[in-house]
Amino acid sequence: MTSKLNFPRLLNDILLYGLLIGVSIFMILPFFWMLSTSLKDADEIFRIPPILISSHSNLKAYLYLAQEYNIFGVLKNTFVIASLATAAQLVFCSLGGYGFAKFKFPGKTALFGFLLGTMIIPFTIIMVPLFFIMRDLNWIDKFQPLIIPSAANAFGIFFMRQYISSIEDELMDAARIDGASEFGIYRRIILPIILPGLTSLGLIFFMSSWNSFLWPLIILKSQENFTLPLVIRSMIGPVGRTVYDVQMAASIISIIPLLIIFLVFQRRFVEGITAGAVKG
Amino acid sequence: MLESDVLSPSRKSPAPPRSHLWRDIVKARWPYLFVSPFYLFFLAFGLYPVAFSIYLSFTQWKGNGPIRFIGLNNYSLLLHDNVFWQSMLNGVLLFFIYVPIMTLLALVLAVILNSRRVRGFKLFRTLIFMPYITNMVAAGFTFQILLNEKYGLLNYLFGIFHLPAVPWLESVWGARISLGLLVTWAWLGYNMIIMLAGLQTIPNELNEAALIDGANPQQAFFLVTIPLLRPVILFSVVLSTMGSFNLFTEGFALFSGSRGHGPVNSAITPLIAIYEQAFGNFKFGYASAMSYVYFAIIFALTLLQVRYFGRED
Amino acid sequence: MNRISPIKHLALIFVAVAMVLSACTPAATSEPQTIEITKIVAGTPVVEQVVVTATPLPEATAAPKPTGKITLWGWKAALDTIKGGVLDDFKNEYPDIEVEIVELSTNDLYQKLLLAISAGTGAPDISVIENSHLAQYVDLGGLTDLTDRVTPYLDKMNQYKWHDAQMDGKYYAMPWDSGPVVLYYRRDVFKAAGLPDDPDGVSQAIATWDDYLNACKTIKEKTHADCFALNKANNYGRLYEMMLWQQGLGYYNEQGEITADSPENIATLEKMVEFWDAGVVSDQQEWTDGWYAELGSNETPIASIVEAAWMGVFLKTFIAPGTAGNWGVALMPAVKAGQVRSANDGGSTMVIPAQSENPDAAWAFIEFALGREESQLKMFAISDFIPSLETTYSNAMFIEPDSFFGGQVTRKVYTEVVKQIPQAYVYGPNYTLMNGFISTAVQKVAAGQMSATDALKEAAEAIRLQTGTD
Repeated sequence: MTSKLNFPRLLNDILLYGLLIGVSIFMILPFFWMLSTSLKDADEIFRIPPILISSHSNLKAYLYLAQEYNIFGVLKNTFVIASLATAAQLVFCSLGGYGFAKFKFPGKTALFGFLLGTMIIPFTIIMVPLFFIMRDLNWIDKFQPLIIPSAANAFGIFFMRQYISSIEDELMDAARIDGASEFGIYRRIILPIILPGLTSLGLIFFMSSWNSFLWPLIILKSQENFTLPLVIRSMIGPVGRTVYDVQMAASIISIIPLLIIFLVFQRRFVEGITAGAVKG
Repeated sequence: MLESDVLSPSRKSPAPPRSHLWRDIVKARWPYLFVSPFYLFFLAFGLYPVAFSIYLSFTQWKGNGPIRFIGLNNYSLLLHDNVFWQSMLNGVLLFFIYVPIMTLLALVLAVILNSRRVRGFKLFRTLIFMPYITNMVAAGFTFQILLNEKYGLLNYLFGIFHLPAVPWLESVWGARISLGLLVTWAWLGYNMIIMLAGLQTIPNELNEAALIDGANPQQAFFLVTIPLLRPVILFSVVLSTMGSFNLFTEGFALFSGSRGHGPVNSAITPLIAIYEQAFGNFKFGYASAMSYVYFAIIFALTLLQVRYFGRED
Repeated sequence: MNRISPIKHLALIFVAVAMVLSACTPAATSEPQTIEITKIVAGTPVVEQVVVTATPLPEATAAPKPTGKITLWGWKAALDTIKGGVLDDFKNEYPDIEVEIVELSTNDLYQKLLLAISAGTGAPDISVIENSHLAQYVDLGGLTDLTDRVTPYLDKMNQYKWHDAQMDGKYYAMPWDSGPVVLYYRRDVFKAAGLPDDPDGVSQAIATWDDYLNACKTIKEKTHADCFALNKANNYGRLYEMMLWQQGLGYYNEQGEITADSPENIATLEKMVEFWDAGVVSDQQEWTDGWYAELGSNETPIASIVEAAWMGVFLKTFIAPGTAGNWGVALMPAVKAGQVRSANDGGSTMVIPAQSENPDAAWAFIEFALGREESQLKMFAISDFIPSLETTYSNAMFIEPDSFFGGQVTRKVYTEVVKQIPQAYVYGPNYTLMNGFISTAVQKVAAGQMSATDALKEAAEAIRLQTGTD
């Protein structure tokens, strides 16, 4: 590196960093605004000029959430649903992926092709009939519809199949020679190896369930069964003020758990979402 | 590592006798067991609903009482449904508003981050990706506050730069752009990351080889890197296209006052229209027909896109 | 959901059989009754003979009080009112009836109710339903026929409330409260503009919408204040509906034909457009912060607002408490001189879904809460929602002066106005659908995209298509 100041290069760097910083600010600003609004008093929210950080920031909105909206119960609902849904999906998708990756059986190509084909069907088409099925099963306003129908999904199986394919066959053959049962092989050999992949997939599923809105909107009706997105939306007031500060507080609460999970498992997260795109 | 099938009918060799087939099936009871849950679930929660909704699309039903068969009436009614076609148009407009810009920006950001020149790779990547984990209800309502014509931060900043205040949520085009802003904010990071991953699979040697061959950096980029990135870019664009039609929560939250319609229906999306017909007007047959027409159009669009994009080789 | 134990099932069958057997005694025959009802048609009161097919109640010889458990669905504002004004008294009167209250948002309530009705299970014993949605549920089926029960109240409630509650001569709901529309105005702004600022003076000076337009121009000129809020891009059509209502018009007519594009409807919209053209209205959307701000401001106030009586309560309590003393209530302007100066916006009723296993107890509650003057008055004291039960209006509460409105006896205005509300065809089985199309039409006209004629024709055609197959 020469010590000479290289203007074109400097300008170049300024532009690049400028762009990165600019975009980053655009990305972060809404979060910041959510947080600052949640700490404001109700009449500070719509002011000219806008108040960046209120001088008397307080936690009133959060307290209100805890008392009036049972936010901990809602948090629990969201967590329970997302966990159960993810667990179910991981079980079935890893099993299915293993079956397709490591076995030969009659009709396999056709079956797998069919599975891929089902990914085309958009939720919109099955939304209405699925709703009536849930009604007939008496599952309206319960958690089951948010966990069971999507338990074995094509994307997950596809992902797992890719992942498991790269495991050497010898491992399984050796185990079979040793007399292990098929299910035992799955449990003791395959599962530990695919743990990273399971984590990545699990993160995607968890986040998807946590943030989902349309299907819970259709299914869940009582306040005590709401998930976080539903409770945020329930705060829009047709009559009376929309309690924006409380709404923003709920928004913050809905984001923080995912944020923590994301920050801790960043690498797996990225792995999960790029898997479908890059490998193709 | 797709193992070729033992019993592939395309093979020239004659199919094994029945007894072998049966034996193979029995021998394969474990993999059948492992993969069967998917098909069982699909039967109950996929196939049956699809069949039922096809049937429903030819009927009229309020959810209570008899299901009346009315033939193609729903579909002919759909032809004249301004709101539905407006929603499809909105999807097209939205696509042009945000997809080119977002894809380009994602690519540029990915390239910048991929080059070893920039420090703080992890930090920037995290910051830019963060919106992706947000639920769109929270995001939509936050944007409502930020884009408020009178009190919103954005118009305030505009004012500082002596730009006029924009009616983001209160005008036809402002509404569309607002939705585009929200969607871009949400997905830019995701698209950037998959492009990053794509870039990282391109070995440096290829680029260096081009440079050695006398190309300048820009040429190397456009003639070597970009073509190799084509699959990823295509993937991103296809997803974004589906995204611009598949919106529900974003519009529903951003335009919560008009239940997702936006000013003069400028922001309504097909999903919102279908949801409204079903769970607002209780017209379940009509909503089913609408969902099929929507599906057909999207499917055709996606096919076209992949064909067209893929052909330029 | 409701699971009945086999024993209870048998018991119910036994009771049902017993009731059927007892009903077969030759005493009870149903005869059509004729009742006189006063309706406002085209601005003038018309007395009509309405034939009501009612099965007279079986001999009420010391009928035992109903017992059992009932569930009541409602939204927060409605339930708070019930809890505060009626629940305890009801428990005293009917100690053996247990009332379980379930709170839902209006949207969720309507969906859940639809669901329950179509599923055949899960419906409450009582549900509160807004007038705007009532006809949809009556039309849907699944509500208990209340004809014989409400007959004593037919001439005691605001007449127009019964329109959406009935189908084929049978009644399915009991009215609760009404939304008589008036003109709320700022005394200080009117005074500064040189206009009369006392209620009677304003009502006289602003007798028609044309008068109102002129007044708005004066106000704009003299004080720069906007006259009222009339949003363009997200207009919900509420003001337009009020203007239609006062003329006894609506989106359809008595025969069920769509009239959304009738000459009168078009003319009404054009009249509203004149306010945009004159530049005298603000662009704030209802229930947004900008709208609250201008209603509650003393420095840059909005001059007036045409809305139902419940707006007065909101102004007082949370929208504009800082402007106390500066408001007055005048009559809504008429479309043409001498015509009706009254319309409805809002209002609710109570219904009993047919699934209810305890309709007697449910009715006991409804009658106690809505048919009994004391209950309605108590609830009124809490919520200020005008009871549909007209016999309450003679109560002293209705002649109390209101300091927020400069000492005016506003309630008297409301009760006089409410009796003038004409029969109209705005609400109906397809209200949400129609309102959707009409709102879009209004927005298009406001944006200058189409003329009122074209926009309404387009909307009317869409409505005809969409409801034609219904």
